Amino acid sequence: MKQHLGRQSGVQNVEVSLIDGKVEVTPKEDGRIDPAQLLKATYDSSVSVAELDMTARGKIVKDDSGTLVLQVEPNQSFKLVVNELSKALEPLANSATQVTVRGQLYKKTDGKKKKKADASVPLKLLILEVQKKE
Amino acid sequence: MNAKQLALLLLFVCPLAPHAQAEIKHIEMRVEGMT
Repeated sequence: MKQHLGRQSGVQNVEVSLIDGKVEVTPKEDGRIDPAQLLKATYDSSVSVAELDMTARGKIVKDDSGTLVLQVEPNQSFKLVVNELSKALEPLANSATQVTVRGQLYKKTDGKKKKKADASVPLKLLILEVQKKE
Repeated sequence: MNAKQLALLLLFVCPLAPHAQAEIKHIEMRVEGMT
């Protein structure tokens, strides 16, 4: 799995801890990494993902439907799940302020049936912590 | 320095200035069924 993930675009390094089932992925500094592709690549390695957390820096943008979005690249953004932390970021929408947040992009739902991750389904970001506003 | 020279200077200097780049900094997964 480590080799499989390491071959994904934008991945600098992959650390796997067999003891606690933790996989840490360090992106390349100038590379574009796609969490949905990582999720798919992990499933392709016959391993089930229970949870995927991400730390990212970007701008808060409100899309046409009024949904808050974290824009990390011009062509890469994540819709935010509404919670107290996302509501607190609403005043920064469409401003030049960059925020660094840690959030959950994927969590396995109940049920024993193994379900293959679908990279075409957009992942939503549940903000767990706002680390920096600059 | 006229306005044209100043504009050219800014054009070449700005991309070199450090800036807070938007990016994914770290990803962590908890997996099951790993042997």
